[in-house]
Amino acid sequence: MSDRITGTLIWYAMICEREVWLMAHEIEPDRDDARLEWGRFLGEMSYPRSRKREISLSGMRLDVVERRGTRLVVGEIKASSRFVEATRMQMLFYLWRLREMGVEAEGELRFPEERRRERVVLDVDAEARLAEVLARVETILEQPLPPAAKRIRYCRACAYREFCWSDEED
Amino acid sequence: MGQRLYVLSSGRLRRQQNTLVLETDEGKRFFPVEQVDEIHVFGEIDLNKRLLSFLTQQRIPVHFYNYHGYYIGTYYPREHYNSGYMILRQAEYYLDECKRLDLARRFVDGALFNLYKVVRYYRNRGKPLENVESSIESHRSRLDDLHDIAALMQAEGQAREAYYSAFDIILDDPDFAFEQRSRRPPRNRINALISFGNSLLYTAVLSEIYHTHLDPRIGFLHATNFRRFSLNLDVAEIFKPALVDRVIFSLVAKKQIQSRDFSEELEGLYLNDRGRRVFLEAWEKRLASTFRHRGLRRNVSYRRAIRLELYKIEKHLMGEKPYTPFHLRW
Repeated sequence: MSDRITGTLIWYAMICEREVWLMAHEIEPDRDDARLEWGRFLGEMSYPRSRKREISLSGMRLDVVERRGTRLVVGEIKASSRFVEATRMQMLFYLWRLREMGVEAEGELRFPEERRRERVVLDVDAEARLAEVLARVETILEQPLPPAAKRIRYCRACAYREFCWSDEED
Repeated sequence: MGQRLYVLSSGRLRRQQNTLVLETDEGKRFFPVEQVDEIHVFGEIDLNKRLLSFLTQQRIPVHFYNYHGYYIGTYYPREHYNSGYMILRQAEYYLDECKRLDLARRFVDGALFNLYKVVRYYRNRGKPLENVESSIESHRSRLDDLHDIAALMQAEGQAREAYYSAFDIILDDPDFAFEQRSRRPPRNRINALISFGNSLLYTAVLSEIYHTHLDPRIGFLHATNFRRFSLNLDVAEIFKPALVDRVIFSLVAKKQIQSRDFSEELEGLYLNDRGRRVFLEAWEKRLASTFRHRGLRRNVSYRRAIRLELYKIEKHLMGEKPYTPFHLRW
């Protein structure tokens, strides 16, 4: 598997394939975008009492890593559960990567603004779903051009919206 | 969304904890750093390395102008958007003669179209500009037959010359007679306004480039020598008629800028302090004014339109979509 694949790419693959390609080519979205800033801020400021540590491994940045008894829990902080399926997949990717490194862990999605957490486990069924997404990402990355821009609901809130829709005639 | 800080007075600009402070004879003024996107320095300013590292960390470019308001240079903080992919594509389009020519032609075509639009606008208001209009059109129509950059530049220059001949007819004000283009030094008031406005546009485009993955040193129409910024000059051509000239026409017509706003020095004429303030205010207003963007389906400011133009160029370089320049719609 290509080591260009990251958790973020998996997340995007669930929402917009064009984003996957752009991200993988280091064409990052507008960093001044208010929503991105909000997400960063939330990640930094949430759960001040937990002994969370951000850990960077190749292709993944784990927002929270905690040991609970014998279990290892990795957490991902998101501003909203709007794209919960994408967030689950991102977490499954982390768990799968960790397993490859010989670390068994379970995941926890955290939505501080909704005071909500969700447990994620990498079982056989989940692994099959992840494999499908991984294959899809590989295919996207092989393409010489980004997948064409398509108007979806997410465009309105996307930091790439001005990049994708900068042409006047559309 | 941040603001631009224009420093016209003299003094000391420094970092004080997490804010910017301008110390002048009149006292201290504080500028919260999160609200500043770029700084333009016209006055005599002392600054130190501590300030520069702070500005790098905050990703704020600083543009410097000399005593006469001419652009000197930019403190361009370490690039914060970096895409090896995009830089290679940009270099590829520069090195490939055909690709470079095609892109350069698109810039000239966009520039000439917008010149034509301005002339058309005033013609529709009864100004006798038929000759100017047809001259610009004829230059525009022969662009496809030009096969080197020098010829494109020349066509652009000739179209612009015709366009400038329209200024006296449009402005119709003896205090602001155009006569001919004179740069260094500008020999009359209208030339001083054009030079000042163009400097502001070059830096505005440069600031926007800083927020993209493009390398400002690789221009296509204007020669690259890897020491100077040139991509901003290419893109500025498209926007000069819409932004700079429009501000000038409006300031002169409304008599917001008058002969007393200039001072004469070393054979040249320059905007004085008050004149610069008036110009900058109108300039900011122009950049902030909005129009309906069909692709984004909402209103965008002209400043944003510059950014969008750069995104379109990125897509051209990626081979995704041929670049079509911004068109004035009047």
